[in-house]
Amino acid sequence: MLPDTLHVTDLTKTYGALHALDAVTLSIRTGEVLGLIGPNGAGKTTLFECLAGVLPADRGSVHAGGAALDAKARADRLAYVPDGIAPWPAQTIRWALDFTVGYFGGRASERDAVVRALDLEALLDQPIGTLSKGQRKRTVLAIGLLMPQPVLLADEPFDGLDLRQSREVAAVLRAHAAAGRTLFLSIHQINDAARVCDRFVLIDRGHVTAEGTVDELAVQAAARGLTPAGASLEEIFLALT
Amino acid sequence: MPSPSAAAPFSWLLAKEWRELMASRAWWVMLALTGPLVGLSFIGAVRSFSEMSGGAGGPAGLAEALTPLDGVFIPTFGAFDLIATFLLPFVAIRAVSGDIQSGAHKILLQQPRVSTRTMVAAKGIVLFAGCLIASLAGVLACALWTSYGGATSLPELVNLSLGHALHAALTIAIAVAAAATTEHPATAAIVALGVTVGTWAYEFISLGRGGWWEALASYMPTAMLRGFEHGLFRISAVLVVSAITLGGLTIAAIWLRIGQPARRRVVLSVMAGALTAAAAFGGAMIPGDLDVSENRRNSFTEREGAALEAISAPLRINARLAPEDPRRFDLEHGAFAKLRRTMKDVDIVYTSSTATGLFEPQGTGYGEIWYALGDKRVMERSTAEPIIVNTIIELSGAPALADGEEDSFAGHPLVAQPVGAAWLFYIIWPVAALSAGFFNRKRRPI
Repeated sequence: MLPDTLHVTDLTKTYGALHALDAVTLSIRTGEVLGLIGPNGAGKTTLFECLAGVLPADRGSVHAGGAALDAKARADRLAYVPDGIAPWPAQTIRWALDFTVGYFGGRASERDAVVRALDLEALLDQPIGTLSKGQRKRTVLAIGLLMPQPVLLADEPFDGLDLRQSREVAAVLRAHAAAGRTLFLSIHQINDAARVCDRFVLIDRGHVTAEGTVDELAVQAAARGLTPAGASLEEIFLALT
Repeated sequence: MPSPSAAAPFSWLLAKEWRELMASRAWWVMLALTGPLVGLSFIGAVRSFSEMSGGAGGPAGLAEALTPLDGVFIPTFGAFDLIATFLLPFVAIRAVSGDIQSGAHKILLQQPRVSTRTMVAAKGIVLFAGCLIASLAGVLACALWTSYGGATSLPELVNLSLGHALHAALTIAIAVAAAATTEHPATAAIVALGVTVGTWAYEFISLGRGGWWEALASYMPTAMLRGFEHGLFRISAVLVVSAITLGGLTIAAIWLRIGQPARRRVVLSVMAGALTAAAAFGGAMIPGDLDVSENRRNSFTEREGAALEAISAPLRINARLAPEDPRRFDLEHGAFAKLRRTMKDVDIVYTSSTATGLFEPQGTGYGEIWYALGDKRVMERSTAEPIIVNTIIELSGAPALADGEEDSFAGHPLVAQPVGAAWLFYIIWPVAALSAGFFNRKRRPI
């Protein structure tokens, strides 16, 4: 069993009458690839933004080693790459990566490997604003991978990628996890999630409905009489969300 | 800019803001337009100054009162007032909204050792540096004027530049705060221009009202600038504008902390606003000014000043003039303003029953101005400075001053044509600015 890196407890966020997050509690373990799976509008992005401190939560806490983390301590541990952004559109990918390494004191030694792994070499001098959706996604992911924090939250890292690129990015993410980086990925494509994640957190309408490996989730779903034993992740997802 | 190779996060932020400014079409457009705007003002001013100096066969006496500050530099630098009001806000708003809209702000926030205060400071420094580059057009105008043989007074020029620098800083702060507190750049632009129009409206409404209305109006951007244009350096104006500028930047920093609840940000903003108001109020209370104008336009003549300074008794003035009476305006911006600067203890009170003075009741002594020094009182209706000064001096028991010419300002008339200015400001400047912008984008494709 891997040690817990972070405990998220009772995280709640409301927009008026809408409960975007309702007492979300989960654990993130060191070195794992944790998948956050849920239908559209389940609260995945809200959860990430609250954890990363770019959106205020109404309630809840994050603990590490038994101690509650304030905003600064959380920023020391968690890096977050949002979905659908095109940061510094007038600047080149080369500059954005150099800036990430310099501004954050990031992983300079991994820069070239990340560029190669994400197939960005030919695009380095291209302004970010001119990139396709998939190219932008890989650029933003490269920024996240070069940030120094030990835990990376990536919102929809496979969104906009074709099948080949998805497989390549999954391999890159697995390699980073194998090197000790903890990844928490919000994914709405079950196949992508199954390919890359060690464990899963299922979220629906702001509630965490289940947490565990595929086998653990299968047991939970079967115990509730929702799926037969040995059900696939897709069947479990449909049953539990 | 510092080399970002091994620099701290702040250096990286500065370098990033600089690159973003260089990538900003809004800034290049502002820079390109600065030349023609300054040139238009400068060329017109030089021609008018030349005509008034006798170049068109005008009366010789007129030339004696001509100062380059009034005739050339105020209109020329007036272009920067237009730029600060109508162009600079968009450049500043883009600097903040660009990061918010592109999602870069969410990434920048994740550096735990960089606060939003630091981010705003980096933006402010770079935007101000951008203004300094644009101000080179003013430097060129001064150089041209000198090359024509025109006189310049360094204290006047420095003071005028300080006024425009404060105006630019204030504009940046307001625009940055507007961009940080609104969700869309268009809304921010409306807010920023709304604040400017609001200050104009307040200035207009407060005209002739006296008291706190007028005191507050004197710190509105255009009124503040007018003081510097008149060659008056007021410590209070510098302090008040600096306090409001810092307040605006602080509020921007508060609202860029998007991870904090809106309620907390509102509370912090209210506190920052209250602190800014207190600091501005305190700054406004600090006396101290310096008349740097070459022709002593904000001061009495040296003989008058010396005679008035010798009076130690408190001077009480009751002017029975309505707020909209032009005589009151003349006094308030002329003799009475100089009296306040010269004498230690002056109290001026206006009384009237109506706003305009046109329908004052009979028998109220409307138009009378009563001067009281100790237990002596005297009434005088004139608004002419020498008469007012002599009235006060005689009231003190000292002999009235005789007419003298020793303090009169000879002026710096100059008959010259703005040779080369049209080429420089209408052709060379915009072409150079647009070319620099083009090659900058070409070198670093954007």
